[in-house]
Amino acid sequence: MNTINKNNSTHSQRNAVSEEHNAVSEGRNTAIEVSNLQFSYTKESPPIIDIKAWQVSQGEHVFLSGPSGSGKSTLLNLLCGTLTPTQGDIALLAQPFSALSNRQRDKFRARNIGVVFQQFNLIPYLSVAQNINAAVYFASTNVSKTASDAKLRHLLDKLQLPSHVLHAKADALSIGQQQRVAIARALINDPQLLIVDEPTSALDTDARDSFMSLLKDVAGESTMIFVSHDKAMESYFDRHCSMSELSPSTNHIKTRGDEAPKAQERA
Amino acid sequence: MLSTIAIESLKRRKTTAILTLLSITISISLLLCVDIIRTQVKTSFTRTVSGVDLIVGAPSGQLNLLLSSVFNIGTPTKGIEYKSIAALQSNKQVSWLIPLSLGDTHRGFRVVGTTNSFFDHFKYGDMQSLEMAAGSAFTQPLSTVVGADIAKSLGYKVGDKIIISHGLGSVSFNNHDDHPFTISGIVKKTGTPVDKAVYVTLQGLEEAHTGPKHSPTSMLGRKPADKANEHEHEHEHEHDEHTKEHAAYNSEAFTPESVSVVMLGLKHRVTALQLQYQINQSKKEPLMAILPGMALAELWQIMGNVESLLLGLSGLIVICALIGLATMLLATMRERYQEIAVLRTIGAGPFTLLLLIQIEAMLLTIVSAALSFGLVAGLMSALKPWLSSTYGLFLSSPLFGQSSVIIILLILGCTYLISLFPAVAAYRRGLHAGLNANS
Repeated sequence: MNTINKNNSTHSQRNAVSEEHNAVSEGRNTAIEVSNLQFSYTKESPPIIDIKAWQVSQGEHVFLSGPSGSGKSTLLNLLCGTLTPTQGDIALLAQPFSALSNRQRDKFRARNIGVVFQQFNLIPYLSVAQNINAAVYFASTNVSKTASDAKLRHLLDKLQLPSHVLHAKADALSIGQQQRVAIARALINDPQLLIVDEPTSALDTDARDSFMSLLKDVAGESTMIFVSHDKAMESYFDRHCSMSELSPSTNHIKTRGDEAPKAQERA
Repeated sequence: MLSTIAIESLKRRKTTAILTLLSITISISLLLCVDIIRTQVKTSFTRTVSGVDLIVGAPSGQLNLLLSSVFNIGTPTKGIEYKSIAALQSNKQVSWLIPLSLGDTHRGFRVVGTTNSFFDHFKYGDMQSLEMAAGSAFTQPLSTVVGADIAKSLGYKVGDKIIISHGLGSVSFNNHDDHPFTISGIVKKTGTPVDKAVYVTLQGLEEAHTGPKHSPTSMLGRKPADKANEHEHEHEHEHDEHTKEHAAYNSEAFTPESVSVVMLGLKHRVTALQLQYQINQSKKEPLMAILPGMALAELWQIMGNVESLLLGLSGLIVICALIGLATMLLATMRERYQEIAVLRTIGAGPFTLLLLIQIEAMLLTIVSAALSFGLVAGLMSALKPWLSSTYGLFLSSPLFGQSSVIIILLILGCTYLISLFPAVAAYRRGLHAGLNANS
C-alpha cells in the first residue's frame, strides 16, 4: 500500500492526502514498473532491496524517502541500470529495462533518463558546455548540433545561467551554478524520466525552495523520482513513497545494513 | 568528444602527465638515436667505398687496414715498400692502383698523400666518380686538393696555400712550414670521409718530410702497358678536362720510398680472391690484401652484438617508461571513480571508459613519439659535424627509415597492451559505478 501526497500549487499548503494509488487506473501510461525486485551485492548477503510491486505513472513526480542505508541510492542505481537486479523485473517506459543487454541499457539510459546527483558531479576539468555536450554525445541521438546548441541556450536561459559560464570550467562555478548546470545536463536530451538524488541536502531552506521551484519548472512533463531523507520536501511532489513501505522486509531487519557491502564494492 | 575528455583530463593532471611524457620522450629518443646510428653507420660505411676490389697494406688486421685507408679512422700501419707496389703494378690482373700515404694532418683534418689516379679511379656511393667543385687535380708537386667540408669550414679556395703538420691530431708541433701546398682543386661534396681529407701529392708529401727528390722513372698508378699511349688511356675520355690540366704534371711519375696503403682495381672482379691469396702469400715483403666488402661484413658482425645489446637496452628503457605511464594512469584511477560513475550515468558504457583510458595513454605516447622525432632530428643535425669529424659518420637523408617507423608502431602496440591494465580497472569500475560512488 502506497501513500500518496497530493500537493496544491503553493508550497505553503501541505495538504498531504493519502489514498490507494494506481497509476494505470488514472488513465496514464506507466513510466516505471517494478515487480518482485530483489538486489543484493553478493550472493551470500541478504537482499538490500525487496520490492514486490511498484508503479510510477508517466509525468508523475514522486518523492522517495528513507533513512540512510535504507536502499534509496541502490534503487536509483537499479532504475538507472548501473546495477542489475539479482531477481525480478524493471520495466521503464514500457521497455523491459532489466532484460536489455548492457549496451542497450547504456543507450536507453543516455536517451531517456536524466540524473541529478547529490554532489552535482560535474566533471571538474571539462567546461560547462563540454559537460553538457558529453551527455548529448553519449546519447548518440540524431539531434543536429544547431538544435542541441539551441536547446542548451534555452535551458541556460530557463535556469538563469549567463551564457559566459558555458566556457568556464565546472569547478570554477559556485555551488548554485553547479547545481543548475547539473540540471541542464540531466535535461539536455529531453529525458522522459528524471532521477534526482538528494541535491538539496547542502542547501538552506530559502535556497532549497528556490531550487525546487526551478526544478519543477524545467522538469515539465518528465516523470521525476526525487530522493531525499528530508520528509519536509514531500509537499513539492505528487506522491510520497518511503523505502520502508516499498521494501518492508529489508528495512525491517536493518537500518544501515547496506553500507558494508557497498564499502566492499568500492574497495 | 572522447578525445576532448581525454585531453582535458590529461591537462588536469598536468604535472604527472608532463613527467610521464618526458620519460617516454627521452626513452623513445634514445631508441631512435640507437637505431639511426646503427642504420646510418651501415649506410655511411657502405657508400664510402665502391669499385675498389682490394686494399693492400702491411699485415695488421683487416679492419684496421680498412678503417685507416678508407675511413681515415685509427692509426695507419707500417708502409709498403716501392718494389712491392711496382710488383702489384705489373700484375696483369690489376687495372689501376691508388697509392695512399697517411699520417699527416692539416688543422685536425687527415692529410692523404696520393696521385691523380685517386681522382680518376676512386668511386663512392653508387659507383660515383669524384668531381671537382672548383679547380682541378694535382698540377704540380706541391699541389693539394681539399674536401668540400674543409673548404667550407676553413674558407679555402683554389690558389690558397696551406701548411701540413706531421702526425695525427689537431695540434702538432712539427709543421712543414717550408713546404706550403697550393690548393689546385676542391672536391664536390660526397658525404664520405673524402669531404674531410686533404689530398696532397706523394712527391710533395715526401719532400715535406725528407727534402726534394726526383725520380721520374716510376709511373705509379699507371699500368706499364699504358706508358706508350699515355694520352689514349681509357679514363682520358671520362676526364678529358682535368687530364689536360694535369698533363703538365705527372703525379704518378714520382717514386716514393713507401706508401701506407694501396687500393687496387682489377680487370675482372672474379680474380680478386685469387690475387688476395697471392698477395697474402708474398714472400718478398709480408703484405696483407683485404676485400673491402668482406672487411665491412666483419665489421657488421662485430657491431651486430653491440647493436643488439644497445637496441635491447633502449627497448627495456621504453618498456619502463610505458610501465610508468600505466602506473600514472592506475594511480589516478582512485580519484577518478566519481568521474567514471558520472560518465557511466550519462550513458558511457564500460567499453567506452576502457577506450577513454587507452586514448589518454595513446595520446601521451603519440605526442612523445612526435617530440622524439623532432628532438632526434634536431640533435642529429647539431651533432652532424662532430659525428663526421670524430667518428667518420656521415649522416645521409632520410634520417628516419623504415626501422624507425617499425619502432614507433611497436611502441604504440606496447602502449595499447600496457594501458589495458588501467583501462580494465576503469572498465571494471564502470561496471559497478553507481550514483553514490562518492557518497
